[in-house]
Amino acid sequence: MEAYVGYFLYFLSLLTVGGIYAIFALGLNVNWGFAGLFNVGIVGFAAVGAYTYALLTTASSTYHMGGFGLPLPLGMFAGMMASAVIAGLIGLICIRLRADYLAIATIGIAEIIKLILKNESAVTNGPRGINKIPRAWEHFSEERFYSSWPMSWFGTPERWDAFFDHLPHWYWQPLFAGTVLLVMYVIYRMLERARTSPWGRMMTAIRENESAARAAGKNVTRRRIEAFVIGAAIMGLAGAFFAQHLRLIEPTNTFDPAKVTFLVWVMLIVGGSGNNRGAMLGAFLIWTIWSASELVITGSIDLISNIFSSIDTSLLVSRAGFLRMMLIGILMQVILQRYPGGILPEVRPASPKAYQKIAGTTGETK
Amino acid sequence: MKKTLIATTAALLATGAMADVNIGNPMGMTGPIPDLVAPMAEAVDLAAKNINDQGGMFADGQTLNVIRADSACDPAAAIDAVTKLINVNGVSAIVGPVCSGAAIAQAESVSIPAGVLTVSVSASSPAITTMEDGTDLVFRTTASDAYQGVALAELAMANGFTDIAVSYANDDYNAAISEVFVQAYEGMGGTITANEAHEPNKASYRSEVATLGSTSENLALFSYYGSGGITLMRNALETGAFTNFIGADGMLSDELIEQIGAENLSTATFTTAASDSSTPSYAAWKAIADGAGVPASDPFVPNSYDAMFMMALAIESAGSDGREGLSEHLRAISSAPGEVIYPGQWAEAKAILAAGGDINYEGGAGNQDFDENGDVAGNFSKSVIVDGAWAAELIQ
Repeated sequence: MEAYVGYFLYFLSLLTVGGIYAIFALGLNVNWGFAGLFNVGIVGFAAVGAYTYALLTTASSTYHMGGFGLPLPLGMFAGMMASAVIAGLIGLICIRLRADYLAIATIGIAEIIKLILKNESAVTNGPRGINKIPRAWEHFSEERFYSSWPMSWFGTPERWDAFFDHLPHWYWQPLFAGTVLLVMYVIYRMLERARTSPWGRMMTAIRENESAARAAGKNVTRRRIEAFVIGAAIMGLAGAFFAQHLRLIEPTNTFDPAKVTFLVWVMLIVGGSGNNRGAMLGAFLIWTIWSASELVITGSIDLISNIFSSIDTSLLVSRAGFLRMMLIGILMQVILQRYPGGILPEVRPASPKAYQKIAGTTGETK
Repeated sequence: MKKTLIATTAALLATGAMADVNIGNPMGMTGPIPDLVAPMAEAVDLAAKNINDQGGMFADGQTLNVIRADSACDPAAAIDAVTKLINVNGVSAIVGPVCSGAAIAQAESVSIPAGVLTVSVSASSPAITTMEDGTDLVFRTTASDAYQGVALAELAMANGFTDIAVSYANDDYNAAISEVFVQAYEGMGGTITANEAHEPNKASYRSEVATLGSTSENLALFSYYGSGGITLMRNALETGAFTNFIGADGMLSDELIEQIGAENLSTATFTTAASDSSTPSYAAWKAIADGAGVPASDPFVPNSYDAMFMMALAIESAGSDGREGLSEHLRAISSAPGEVIYPGQWAEAKAILAAGGDINYEGGAGNQDFDENGDVAGNFSKSVIVDGAWAAELIQ
C-alpha cells in the first residue's frame, strides 16, 4: 500500500514539474510560436518572477531584504507583473531587432538579470539565495500562516496544529499539482482564444511576412511588443511556481540557462511550436523522459548485474549520470528527426485542416 | 517499443522487489564538481561493503543497498532525484547530497515534508544550522563554514595582522565563509580595510587587486583555485600589492604551487577541514581506506564514509528500516555514553546493539557528536609551504 502511495506521489511530482514547464512553454509559444520572436532569455524572466515572489512572500529574514510575508496569490501576481514590466522596457528598446539579433540581446539581458540578482546581496542574499519560500497549500501548515488572519478566524493555532497533524504529510501535494494544472489550463484557454481571434491571425501574418503586414496597415512594432510582454508575464508566473516547487532559489545553478532556457525550447520544438497543445504535450513528455530516465537506467544496471553476475557494474554506476544525459540527447534527436514540425504541428485558424477538425460526421460545421 | 516497455517494467520491478535495507544516496555525479565527488561516492560504497561483509543488517543479515542518484549540485535536479528515491525506491533515509544549495532545497522541498532523515556528507553552508523548525531531520558530518571562518580569523590574529583586505569569489561557498570571517575578525578587534566580491573565471583581476591593495598589506582570499583564485593570486604577487595571504580550503592545492611556484608562496597560509590524524579512529579509517584504494584524506571522503556508517548504525539500532524516529537513534549511536566504535567495526557494534548496549561512533573525520542543530564540530589545519610542498598542522 505504502509503495503505491509513493508511486502516486511521484506521478504527482511529474505532473507538478511538467505543469510548471508547460506554463513556461506556453509563454515561449506566445513569443516564438505566435509572433516569431526568438527569445533566448527565458531564464531571466523566470528569475524575475521567482525572486519577486520569494521576496514578497517569505517571512522576515536577516539574510535578504524584507521577507514581506504577503499572501501567496499577491506574490504570484507581482512576479508576473514584474516580469511583464521588465519585458516591456526591453521590448521598447530591442524589439526592432530581427531573429538572431533579438536572440543575442535576450541572452545578454538574461545574464544581466542574473548578475544583478547575484551581486545585490543586500536584497537577494547574493549567491547563497533565498530559502524557506512558502509553497501553495503546504504553507497553511506553517505556524506564521495558521496563527494569523485569515486562518485564525476559523480556529485557534492549537486546533489548526492538531488538524494538520491529522492529515497525511503529503496532503498538499495533490492540491499543489492541481493548482499548477488549473493555472496551466486557464492560460491555455486564454491563449487558444487569442490564437483564433483576429489578433492571433494578425500575429501569424506578422511572423510570416512582416512587410506585407506592415503594408496592410498593421502596427507591427506594437504587436510584437505585446506578444513579448504577454509571453514574459506567463514566464514570470511560471517562475513563481518554480520558486514554490524548489523552496530555495539561488542565481547560479537554479537559473542555469541549460536547464531552463534550453529545456523549454526543446519542449516547445518537440511538442510543436505555434500549437498550444503541442507546447504542453512537449513539456510533459520531455520532463517525464528527463526524470524517469534515471530510474530506467539505474534499473537496467541492476538488471545487468543480476543477470550477468560476472560483470563488474561499478563503472556503469558511476557513469550513469553522464549516460543519462547522452541518452536524453539521442532521444531528442530521434524525436526531432521523426517529427520535424513537432509532434502536434501548428494548425492555422484559417486553414482547411482547422475546419475539418471541427466538422461533424455529416460534414456540418459548428 | 513493446520490448523496451517490457524491459523497463522488469527493470523497475527488479529495483522495487528487494526486501533489503535501502539507503538513498544522491550525489553530484554530474554538474560542476564530479571529480571531487567520485572518491566520496567510493567511500559511501566502501561503508556499505564493510557492513555487508560483516553480517549485514539486523539479525537475519539483510543486505544494505546504496541507491545512488544524481543531484548534480543543482536544486532542481536534487529535488527530482530525492523525490524518486523516497517515493519510487522507498528508501529508509538519505545520505547526501553534496552541495549546500542542493541539500537545502531537497530537504525543504522533499525530505522534511516526507519525514525522511537526511545526513549530508559535505554541505557546509551556515544556513543549514537554522533551517529547520523543530523537525530534527537534517544532520551533517562536516563542520559548518561558520567554524572555519572563525578558525581563520583566529589564525589571522595569531599571525599579528591588525588590518586585512578581503576578496571573495561570488559563489555560495566563498561568500558564506568570507562573511563569517569578517564578523569574527572584527569581533576580535581587527580592521577590515576593504571587502569586495570578485566574479569567478575572469582572465585578469588586476583592477580588483589594485583597488584592494592600496588599503592593506594583508589579503584574505576566498576563492576556488580552479576558477580564478590562482589568477588573482598571481596578479596580486605581480603587482606587489600584498605581502601576506591567508585563505580557506578552496585555494589549497598542489596546482597552486605548480602555477605560482613554492618560493612565491612563503607568506601564504590556508586552512582546511582536516581529520586529526593522531586519533585511533583516523588510524582505523586510514587502514580501511588504504586497503580499498580510496584516498583517505581527500576532502569530505572520511565524512562520506562516516555518514553512511552512522546511518546504518541508526537503522540497526532502530531495529527496522522504517523512517520514523531514526534521528533519535542517530543521536544515540553517535555520542557518549557507550562503547566506542571506530570505522569498520560493524560486527562489534552489531553485537553490542543486539545485546541492548550503547555505542558511540568515532569517525575518520572527527568524533561526529551532533549538537542540537544536527551539526558537528570540526578540526581544521593550517597549511604553509615547507620545502616546496604544503605542510599541514592541526589548529587546536
